[in-house]
Amino acid sequence: MTSYAYFFGCIIPNRYPGVEYAVRWVCGKEGFDLDVEETKEFSCCPVPGIFYSSDKDTWLLLAARNLTLAQNTRREILTVCNGCFTSLLKATEYLQDPKRMGKINHVLAQIGKKYTGVPKKTEGRRRIMEPVKVRHYVEVMTSDIGIDAIAERVTRPLNNIKVAVHYGCHYLRPTENQTIDDPNDPVLIDRIVEACGATSVDYEDRLDCCGAGGGVRSHVVDLANSLTEDKCRNIAAAEADCIVTGCPFCLLQFDNAQKSFSKDGIPVMHISQLQALSMGIDPISLGFDTHHVSAHSLLRKLRGA
Amino acid sequence: MGEAEKTFLSGLHEKLVEEKVIDESQLEPGFAKQIQKYGGKDVMTCLQCGNCTGVCPISLKIDYKTRSIIKFCQFGLKKYTLATRWVCATCYRCYEHCPADINPAEVMIALRHIAIREGVIPPFIKVAATNLVRYGQTVKPDQEIEKIRTELGLGEVPTKAPEYSRVLREISVLVHASKYDSLVGIEEEVKL
Repeated sequence: MTSYAYFFGCIIPNRYPGVEYAVRWVCGKEGFDLDVEETKEFSCCPVPGIFYSSDKDTWLLLAARNLTLAQNTRREILTVCNGCFTSLLKATEYLQDPKRMGKINHVLAQIGKKYTGVPKKTEGRRRIMEPVKVRHYVEVMTSDIGIDAIAERVTRPLNNIKVAVHYGCHYLRPTENQTIDDPNDPVLIDRIVEACGATSVDYEDRLDCCGAGGGVRSHVVDLANSLTEDKCRNIAAAEADCIVTGCPFCLLQFDNAQKSFSKDGIPVMHISQLQALSMGIDPISLGFDTHHVSAHSLLRKLRGA
Repeated sequence: MGEAEKTFLSGLHEKLVEEKVIDESQLEPGFAKQIQKYGGKDVMTCLQCGNCTGVCPISLKIDYKTRSIIKFCQFGLKKYTLATRWVCATCYRCYEHCPADINPAEVMIALRHIAIREGVIPPFIKVAATNLVRYGQTVKPDQEIEKIRTELGLGEVPTKAPEYSRVLREISVLVHASKYDSLVGIEEEVKL
């Protein structure tokens, strides 16, 4: 059985604790009971829009530090965020270059760490190493647990709910790093949504960016919001009850941006929260009160009112 | 050539001379090489097909055209690229659609590297770097959220634990070793 290490990143613990609760609940005893462990020494992944954009050496050092922690416990990193996923995955690819790995290890020696990758097999006396595995929550759910198992555990099917799925750019692109889903026609989150009993609605430009990434939200918030407005208009036209995403930064953008152009807004949640709802969790544990857009309309509909 | 056309063309020419004239002193011959140094591909192989602009979500909204920026890079017009580099959302759609396989998003990232080394540093970079060194994360902990965490039984964020100070020291060492602290100006935050 595969063992994992939680990697929650920055946004989930500090802005959306409900997502953290949902992920722990779904992966824990009440849910699929995965072998997943806390690694308290993880730092920021670091965020690609800031560190990968301003100094790649620093970015790789900090990412390599996180990777060594999972390497030493022989665990796969279970990321819940597209940003963490793309940043750490890209770092493992950069570290495949032996020259670069040597340079990084030279600095990591100052803090007593070394990145080698994890042993895959031995050929004679040579150990063949492979990079530390970086996994996305959605990928773990669909390939390690399986859609059928997800559907089996549903105790409260979300039959009357229409969901607009937003995948997020770094889940889909660039494809030289990602192979978990088809970048032009992704299906995995939709499958989880359907397994939970809800209906995933199609809407125009569903693969478009939410607008937050790459430092745009931090730099020109109006620009980021205007991109979100376009998406929300299309989502509203499809009459969706909520937006479901696999990325907390997209969640944050949808959640915060909506108050700049609409009064009520469409509730937004992480895919793990939707799963937890279908598995019969008490919605009060999902921390919807930390969301800016109220989830009341959705919860009322769920109760069948 | 008809009279009208002539007038139009001469008018256009004058306008070009007035506003858009580029003399050699503005060009930086090694600019394409500099972009490659920071991980961008060779912009000289760009065909100027415009696919990148067509699929760019930001180009739809503002006067930022990916193709034009690549053109400026080809010419070596560094100062023209400085104003727009931080509006790229790094969605990598341009990369998926580029027939010359240039990966314009990585070119934008290389341009950010260059701009930072020119001293053009947007404030949020400094804020994020400071948060990283102080809290180990780029998002600052929030008291209200801490309360909700306790209510949910999640406990405090791991970065608040006393043992985490060792991690913060490690981050400081790494940030200092790569000279990132002096690059973005957070030397006083780094504690070794």
